[in-house]
Amino acid sequence: MTRISLTFGLGLATALAAGWFAFPYALYVRRAEPLDFRHKAHAEKSGVSQCTDCHALRDDGSFAGIPQADVCAPCHNESMGKRNWLVNFRQPANVWFSHAIHMRRAKLDCATCHGPYGESAQPVAYQQDRISGYSRQVMDMNTCEKCHRERKVEVGCLGCHK
Amino acid sequence: MELTRRDLLTWGGGATAGLLLTPLPWKVLDDTSKWTQNWPWIPQPSRAPIEVKRSFCTLCPNGCDLRVRVASGTPVGVSPGPQSALCPLAFGAHQLNWHPGRLRQVSHLGKAASWNDALAAFRKAAVEGPIAVVDAYPRRAGSSVMENFARRQGGTYCIILSAEERSLAPYAAWSGAPVTSLGYDFEHARTILSFGAPLLDGWGAPGRVPRLWSTGALKLIQVEPSLSRTANAAWRWIQVPSGSEAALAAGLARVLLEEHISPARAPLPPTTVAEAAAQTGIAEETIRELARTLAAHGPAVAIAADGDPAVAVLNFAVGSIGARGGIVRRREGGPSYLTADNLNGHFRAVLIDATVPWDFAPQADAEVFRFAAWNGGGSRAHWLLPAPGFLEELTDVPTAPGSAVDTYAIAANLSTPPADVRSPAGFLAQVDSALPSVEDIIHARCRELFRTHTGALQGEETVPVSRFAAPERLEEALRTGSVWVAGPPRSGGLRCRFEQWPQPTAPRATADWTATWVPPVLPPLAVKLYRESSLREPPAGRSI
Repeated sequence: MTRISLTFGLGLATALAAGWFAFPYALYVRRAEPLDFRHKAHAEKSGVSQCTDCHALRDDGSFAGIPQADVCAPCHNESMGKRNWLVNFRQPANVWFSHAIHMRRAKLDCATCHGPYGESAQPVAYQQDRISGYSRQVMDMNTCEKCHRERKVEVGCLGCHK
Repeated sequence: MELTRRDLLTWGGGATAGLLLTPLPWKVLDDTSKWTQNWPWIPQPSRAPIEVKRSFCTLCPNGCDLRVRVASGTPVGVSPGPQSALCPLAFGAHQLNWHPGRLRQVSHLGKAASWNDALAAFRKAAVEGPIAVVDAYPRRAGSSVMENFARRQGGTYCIILSAEERSLAPYAAWSGAPVTSLGYDFEHARTILSFGAPLLDGWGAPGRVPRLWSTGALKLIQVEPSLSRTANAAWRWIQVPSGSEAALAAGLARVLLEEHISPARAPLPPTTVAEAAAQTGIAEETIRELARTLAAHGPAVAIAADGDPAVAVLNFAVGSIGARGGIVRRREGGPSYLTADNLNGHFRAVLIDATVPWDFAPQADAEVFRFAAWNGGGSRAHWLLPAPGFLEELTDVPTAPGSAVDTYAIAANLSTPPADVRSPAGFLAQVDSALPSVEDIIHARCRELFRTHTGALQGEETVPVSRFAAPERLEEALRTGSVWVAGPPRSGGLRCRFEQWPQPTAPRATADWTATWVPPVLPPLAVKLYRESSLREPPAGRSI
C-alpha cells in the first residue's frame, strides 16, 4: 500500500469517526429531567397499561401536556410538586399537530410516532441540538411526509403548519 | 517519518471525502436552516390551545367565508368556510400583520410624525378647502362614515371600481342603474362566453365559477389571444388576435339575429359574418356554429372583461340582459357613486382609504392623506397613516361585486392592532365628532335587516330572518359568521336602451384585474402558494 493511500485512508477514517461518532455526541447537550422517571417501572407497579391513562387528551382532542402532580398523587403520598419537564417530542411553534386526528381518526398507536418510549427502563435523557435548539427526538418533517405518503394521506403545507 | 505538504493535502482530501459520507454536513445545513427560523426578531405563533373562529376576508370586496385558527388572540391559520374557497393571498393573510412592510408609525414626507400632527394638518385642510375621499370598497359601515364626512364638509366621496364592476359598466351606462347594483347570474347560466375574463383563475369570488364549473352543467367558452389557465381548462378555447374580440362579438350577434335563433330583437350589427371571420381568422362556419351553441345552451351570457361596449353589446343579441342567467339588477340595488376616474375640480386635500390600490395617484397639487396597513414604497402621499391590518378591525361586508344576489356579513375582528394604528373612520370621528361610529352603523343595518323580514341567514344552518325574535339576535348570528342572503334578483329588473352598435375600438390593454385589491406586499405563504397552486396568476407588479 502506498504512502498516499495510507494517508488518504487515515483522513477518511478520521472524518468518518468524527462524523458518525464525535459529531452527534458534540452536537447535543444533555439536560437532566427534573425527576428520573422510569416508564417501565411505573407501568409494572401501577398496572397502567395505556399511555392515555397518564397522557390525557382534552375534550377537544388536543394533547393536555405532560401529566402534572395530580396524576401522581393517587400512588405517591408525598407531594410531587410542579415539575418543569423537558418535552422530547415538542413540535416547533410553527407546527400544528393534532393528536386527536392521528389517534382517533387514523387509529395510530402511540408507538408509531413515539417509539417504544413507554417501555424504557431507564430515564430518557433530553438531548438538545446546540444549533437548532430542538430536541433530538422531535419528529422532523420528512418522517411526517413519509408516513402520510405511505398511508396516502394528503401532504399539504397548511395541514401541519400554522 | 517526516510529514510533507503532500501528506497534509492527501489527508485533507481523505477527510473531505469521509465527511461527505457522514451526516455532519447535511445535519449542520438542516440545523442552520432551523436556527434561522427562530431568530428572536422573527414572530412566532403562540403556543396555546387552538380555537377555530369564523370571520370574513376583508382583503378584497368579495368577503370570502373564513375559518380562522386563533391561538392566544392571534390568528395562526386561515382556511375556507364550508361554502367558500380562498385565493392564495387569503390562505397566508394571517402572516400579513407581521410583514416587515407593516406600517406602524405616522409619517409625513418620509419622516416620523404623530397622529396629532396629522390631525392638525387635516383639520387645517378641511377648513381651507374641499376634501375628496377615495374608497375602493364602498357600502361598508366605514365607507358610510367617510361618505358622511365628505358630504358634511362639502367635499366629494368617490370610489374605485373593481374589475368585475368595470366589466358591468356598459350596462350601467345603457340602463342608468348604478354599476354597483348589477351582477352576473352565473348560478343560472348554462353557457358563459368570456372575452378574456379569468373566470377559472379566481375572477370575482375565487370559488364561485370553479364550483359551478365542477358540476359539469356549465359550458365555458373562453375567447382569448393566448392559452391562459382559464382558456386551458375551459370547455372550448377560441383563439383570436388581440383587438379582434369586438369583431367576433359582432359576427356572433349577426348570426343570432339573422337566423332568428335568439328570442332577442335588435338591429343587425354593421359587421358581416364574413368580415368578422376575416378579422378574427376564424372560419365563418365556426362563428355560426358558436352562435348556435349559445342559442341552444341557454341561458347564456357574454362577459367583456375590460368592459368594452363593443363586446358587451353581444348580450343584447343573446337576450341575457335582465334575464335569468344573464346580467341582472339586484333587489336592493345600491346608490350611484362618482368614480375616481371622473373626479374633477380642485381639492385642498385627498383622503385615501386603506382599501385603495397602493399605486393610485390623486391630483398632483392636493395634500394627500393616505391610510394603509402595508407600505409598498415610493408613495406620493404627503401623510402615510397606519391602518388596521388583516382582521384587526370590526367591519361589515356588503354584497360582492358582480354578485346576482344581495348579501351582508360582519367580519369580526380577531386580532388586536398595534398601538399606533387607526382606521379612517376613527380618524374622521376625531375631526368631526357628529359622525356616527362604525358600530352604530352596523347596529342600524342589522335593525333594518330585521325590520324588512326578508331573506335568510346562512350559517351552520339556514334560518329565515322572520324567525329571529330580536335584531340583537340577528346581529349576534351575523357576528359569529352567518351571512344574510336576499332573495333571487327580480326578473326583468334591468332594462337597457339599445341605441346603436358601438364602433369597434382600438385594442385596449386589459387592466390587471387583481390591481384594485392586492396589497402592496405579499405574505410568505401566499408567495409559495402562488408559485405552486393552479388557482390564480400572481398579481402583476408584485415580486414573488
